[in-house]
Amino acid sequence: MKGTAIILLVLGTPLVQAATPGEILASYRAEATRVSPGYRPSVAQGAHLYGRQFGVSEKMPACSGCHTARPSQPGRHVVTDKAIKPLAPTANAERFTDPAKVEKWFRRNCTEVVGRECSAAEKADFMTFVMEGR
Amino acid sequence: MHKILVWDWPVRIGHWMLVGAFALAWLSSESEAWRLVHACAGGTMAGVVIFRLFWGVVGTRHARFASFVRGPGAALAYVRGLATDSPPHVVGHNPAGGWAILALLGLTLLSAASGWFVYQDAGGTWAEDLHEGLSSMLLGMVLLHVAGVLLGSLAHRENLVHAMFSGFKQGPAHAAIATARPLPVLVLLGCAVLCAWWFAQ
Ligand code: HEC
Ligand code: HEM
Repeated sequence: MKGTAIILLVLGTPLVQAATPGEILASYRAEATRVSPGYRPSVAQGAHLYGRQFGVSEKMPACSGCHTARPSQPGRHVVTDKAIKPLAPTANAERFTDPAKVEKWFRRNCTEVVGRECSAAEKADFMTFVMEGR
Repeated sequence: MHKILVWDWPVRIGHWMLVGAFALAWLSSESEAWRLVHACAGGTMAGVVIFRLFWGVVGTRHARFASFVRGPGAALAYVRGLATDSPPHVVGHNPAGGWAILALLGLTLLSAASGWFVYQDAGGTWAEDLHEGLSSMLLGMVLLHVAGVLLGSLAHRENLVHAMFSGFKQGPAHAAIATARPLPVLVLLGCAVLCAWWFAQ
């Protein structure tokens, strides 16, 4: 019993790598610059990705569908109707502080909404827009 | 040896509900569009297991925990016996299978409980990782369980998978259960539907 509990605890303890949104953005930016030198994160590109109706998935056509038109507002899951905390770090200090979590959700949500994984440049653009806290 | 009724209806229906719901939960695990389905599948599994715990006390003979939960020594002896010319035959669950069943039931409950926290957004990354870890352990246990079933089937030249559908196995007449107890299946279904609904709230 005790052994099992310890195993569960160890398995369950996330290898939390705390980071700031700025650091996570910087690493996406560095990756994007490696692919295309001269790349600069763009708020406009990020806003476009955030609001674009991709229409790939009938149930979840756009990021803004769940995260609402404004990243600083609390969201609502279009499928389950459950509340989602605001995406903007200015409104929710937990956002973009765990690289593994950020990567996981970019992977999941881009795959379904965009129909493929997002590139490092798209992630950097998206974060730059979201971090403005509009 | 005769063909005798061993598994009642709640055991069989519950088993195949677990298999179906587990497959559905696994396939929908990476998707937000399927998140509602995923939560319902997990809820269904929790409901089946909760019913099974109760059925393990009041159910038919071979469904009762008291009839198949044995010490680790008995489980080891059984596994060793499988390699011999005359593998020990058990009408109900064998002692090694009994341990697998407890692990499957326990992991299912823990996985579902951690999933509930994720769904309620009430445990953060910690709950997400715990849920993923427990579910992977459950998958590993399922593979081990299926391997054990196939091994047992070969060792005894008896199709145990088929028995989980029909309810019949080879055994002495006195080991048979008297009825297949169809009515408690309604309680099983009620429990599963209630949990599925509640998990998706
Ligand atoms: C179906 C609803 C839904 C859609 C559509 C959606 N998301 Fe999300 N998103 C979620 C949920 C649920 C979470 C995780 C729960 C939470 O952290 O609040 C999340 C979390 C995230 C996170 C994690 C941020 C952090 O550090 O906590 C990022 C990044 C993200 N989403 C980006 C996107 C992008 C990019 C898109 C569009 C391509 C998108 N999301 C579309 C539901 C959605
Ligand atoms: C999600 C996957 C699965 C879970 C959670 C699961 C769970 C269980 C449980 C709890 C039992 C005990 C039954 C009871 O007494 O109520 C059991 C028995 C059994 N399962 Fe599974 N099972 C799974 C997959 C499978 C699959 C895929 C097969 C077939 C290929 C299978 C074949 C059997 C058989 C034959 C038994 C009876 C074992 C015996 O003869 O003692 N199971 N399983």
